[in-house]
Amino acid sequence: MSSLKDLERLKAEGMNSLFPSKTKIMVGMATCGLAAGAQEVWQNLHQEVKKRKIDVLVKKTGCIGLCQHEPLVDILKPGYPRITYDRMTPEKVGEVLDDLVKGKFKKAIMARIDQEEFLLDDTRTRYSKGKIPAYITSILPYKRLPFYKKQKRVALRNCGFLDPESIAEYVAKGGYFSLVQVLRGGKPEKVISQIKRSKLRGRGGAGFLAGVKWEVCRNADGDGKYLICNADEGDPGAYMDRSILEGDPHSIIEGMLIGGFAIGADQGYIYVREEYPLAIERLQIALTQAQEEDLLGKNILDSGFDFEIEICRGAGAFVCGEETALIQSIEGNWGEPKPRPPFPAVSGLWGKPTVINNVETWANIPVIIAKGAHWFNGLGTSRSKGTKVFSLVGKVNNIGLVEVPMGISLREIVYEIGGGIPNGRKFKAIQTGGPSGGCIPKNLIDLPVDFDELKKAGSIMGSGGMIVMDDRTCMVDVAKYFLSFLEDESCGKCVPCRVGIRRMREMLEDITSGRGREEDIDYLQQMAEAVKEGSLCGLGKTAPNPVLTTLHYFRDEYEAHIRGKRCPAGVCKPLIIYSIDPENCTGCGVCLRVCPQGAISGRKKKPHKIIPSKCIKCGACFEVCTFGAIVIT
Amino acid sequence: MVKLTIDNQTVEVPEGTTILEAAEKLNIYIPTLCHHESLTPYGGCRLCVVEVTQNGVTDLTSSCTYKVEEGLKVKTTTERVKRVRRLVLELLLVESPEAQIVQDLAMEMGVRRPERLKPRKDDLCILCGRCIRACREVVGVNAIDFAERGYSKKVAAPFYKSSPDCIACGVCFYICPTGAITMREVEKGEKARIPEGEEVTGPARIIYNWKVGLAMKRCKKCGEIIAPEFQLEYLRKKVNLPEDHFDICPSCRE
Amino acid sequence: MSSFEDARIVDEIIKKNEKSSLIVILQEVQSRYNYLPEQVLTLLSERLGVPLIKVFSLATFYRSFSLKPRGKNVIKVCLGTACHVKSGSNLLEKAKRDLNLSEEEVTTRDLGFTVEKVRCLGCCSLAPVVRINEDTYGSMTQGRLSKVLKNYL
Repeated sequence: MSSLKDLERLKAEGMNSLFPSKTKIMVGMATCGLAAGAQEVWQNLHQEVKKRKIDVLVKKTGCIGLCQHEPLVDILKPGYPRITYDRMTPEKVGEVLDDLVKGKFKKAIMARIDQEEFLLDDTRTRYSKGKIPAYITSILPYKRLPFYKKQKRVALRNCGFLDPESIAEYVAKGGYFSLVQVLRGGKPEKVISQIKRSKLRGRGGAGFLAGVKWEVCRNADGDGKYLICNADEGDPGAYMDRSILEGDPHSIIEGMLIGGFAIGADQGYIYVREEYPLAIERLQIALTQAQEEDLLGKNILDSGFDFEIEICRGAGAFVCGEETALIQSIEGNWGEPKPRPPFPAVSGLWGKPTVINNVETWANIPVIIAKGAHWFNGLGTSRSKGTKVFSLVGKVNNIGLVEVPMGISLREIVYEIGGGIPNGRKFKAIQTGGPSGGCIPKNLIDLPVDFDELKKAGSIMGSGGMIVMDDRTCMVDVAKYFLSFLEDESCGKCVPCRVGIRRMREMLEDITSGRGREEDIDYLQQMAEAVKEGSLCGLGKTAPNPVLTTLHYFRDEYEAHIRGKRCPAGVCKPLIIYSIDPENCTGCGVCLRVCPQGAISGRKKKPHKIIPSKCIKCGACFEVCTFGAIVIT
Repeated sequence: MVKLTIDNQTVEVPEGTTILEAAEKLNIYIPTLCHHESLTPYGGCRLCVVEVTQNGVTDLTSSCTYKVEEGLKVKTTTERVKRVRRLVLELLLVESPEAQIVQDLAMEMGVRRPERLKPRKDDLCILCGRCIRACREVVGVNAIDFAERGYSKKVAAPFYKSSPDCIACGVCFYICPTGAITMREVEKGEKARIPEGEEVTGPARIIYNWKVGLAMKRCKKCGEIIAPEFQLEYLRKKVNLPEDHFDICPSCRE
Repeated sequence: MSSFEDARIVDEIIKKNEKSSLIVILQEVQSRYNYLPEQVLTLLSERLGVPLIKVFSLATFYRSFSLKPRGKNVIKVCLGTACHVKSGSNLLEKAKRDLNLSEEEVTTRDLGFTVEKVRCLGCCSLAPVVRINEDTYGSMTQGRLSKVLKNYL
């Protein structure tokens, strides 16, 4: 049986872990870090530490958002601010440790962090006491990095700041105390009222008011209610939920516990896509820890409240991110959406009232309880309160995960946080909302980001994917890409979606291959609008959005493909030609050797030539040429 | 009882009635394809969509699945509705150009097959799911179901091989709106080959789609088919009935 | 594997997952056999009393299931939006070329490799991404892919 005393004990343990008396080295071990080589860094670090016989703690941490700079290694030496090394390699580890032992930090450091922030109780604890050496103060504090300046981390509050496999550290950062508050208060209706007053809108895509959904569910008839966390995160280009699950899994558990108490459920499910094995692993560890501390199970914190959470793995179906299809999947059926009404809040899993919310929505709950609805209302716009996590990817300098207050402009996100477009290229569009969203052009770049504004522009907020596109991105190809994706993922139940999407994609194939016809633009427009109206579920209803927005804002590109049989961005293979610029070609022969078709000919040190009939436009030559001599027109 | 208006006409119906059923009461015609009165509603073809307004919100929904609510306002032929119906028929005309029922419905609404899209060949199946629902709900056998998803979705028997559970009752054949299911009665003494299988001697029935061919017991009196021989033999032995018990069909026995 | 062996494994899986859904059971079968063999699915249908067509239907709906034997090494090339915009499809073609697979084929004759496309692995910041078995590789190039593949031979 757990009690407040046990939590206080955990908190003390966590604080010791967060501010140890020994030097602590933290390695970013989320999937991004691992993909960048963090595993090798971790292994080498352990070896090198052993070799030097230094007494340090080595811990894992989650993603701090600057994913492109991974692997990130942080050193927290007692008395000094925390410093972050970026782009760490196994080879550099030894040198960094040598610097640490000598007490100097010579190697290039990305940033420093002066204090650990405790969002939930508004306190800060400085890492260093007293005077800090000059060479450390010369390192930029991370909050002054353009990437972080305008961010406000609420859902991501703990990611990168604690060991996701330590429940003690989560408690030290204020975790589970919101649950205590809620259980002590003993009034579920009060909790619902607070969530309603916060005006929190679902972060999964639809943006429905969470408090209202909870209220409907609480008031619905049915013995036995359920809670579901939608961690299917199917939108390609979006990985916000993965980062929270890998970096701060306990925040979801706590959020769900509070939700379960509020609506009167005793069983929760977390539906995670199977493409996220590390997230599933971290969640399982967190669940076990919570069970061991009696924060899950029967009579939690002596309140009489019972709650269990089970993990369900997805099986490769984007449509299962749609709530009624997700429910079907948990029940062991195939993911075919059901018409609504009835809504899941009234009749959901096994026919019982069910609340389904997205990972990010759940992550916000403990914060709203701790800091109050009024505080939450202070962030964001009038109809979109709070912050939103976005995955800023594509053709932008600072690729990563950002959390900003709603209402910030796209311009600030792309140019200030994102650092603008790389390689001297020009900004063309930003795609938001995944396959259900649309492309927003340059002239709308001052658009404030919130649910309603994005909708007005023809797109949607969606789960938060933001893909930046430059002048070398073909908008017709983008529309075709999203349609291909949805064609693959459609469940096939209704005619407009199953056949309509396929036929629209076929037309786009024609257009991108030079077989487009003059009437195609109007025909596509008509079909897209009708598919939007006639489809049964959200997948089909939003599938035409990429087509509709690109037709609306980039009609000229469609026309170029149809009339001119050209791809201005140089992407659509049937309409482009790879050639070698004799002015830049040094005749090094690297491209000739790498070409799989033997389509390049030329003598040593003389400009080479590509034989168009043999070229399959695979891009291998473009990848290896260091002289920029490969030209795509 | 629930009161609602359809095309400005009021009607009162028991709770649990669908809009489609309520419209029938008012003799208002709504076209359907995947719907069948003996089966649970599916809502897949989208031909029966109507515009509904409730609590100030208007949306399109399939009338065969939507259960009526007090004060619901329904419109069955708005521009939005017509646009969707036109889309559905255009797409089905391209997918199954030879399906008579699709052609008839299209003609009724003045819809023509779009030339811009390449028609699919030799496939009458419009994936309405009637055969599956009939097999599952009416006959209770679960011999067939949907396989794959999206555009590749098809109605199939397990592993696309001969269905081990099919009893050749023929309900799927009778309920299919487009004639996508091929069934053949093999006369007494006649021989025919089951697709990818052996030869069978009549009286028998072959359902080509599920690669099933079963010897059928015919009534010695009226000649009608009673049931597959193997089923009757199994029952006869189990309940210890005389050898000639199933030689006469139930109606002739009366 | 003999049918006796199959029956033993099936019973073991069913016992371990008594309260779980059919999808969970299929996931266990796939992790044991690396795909879903027809005879095992038939056994499952008999043991669980679930119509065979329902088992088949589920197995063909969800993409993570394969009814054909998969290679020892499964290569997943991410074609999510961020990876697509960074020419992820060129990587997929390169993998297929290196392994001598035609457009329709996904598994090499010797069952050494299976090449699948995924959307998305959630590593968008390091696009284009390729996952081979449990290893995730970011910022992949055609040249590097060829080298990395050799490690799995």
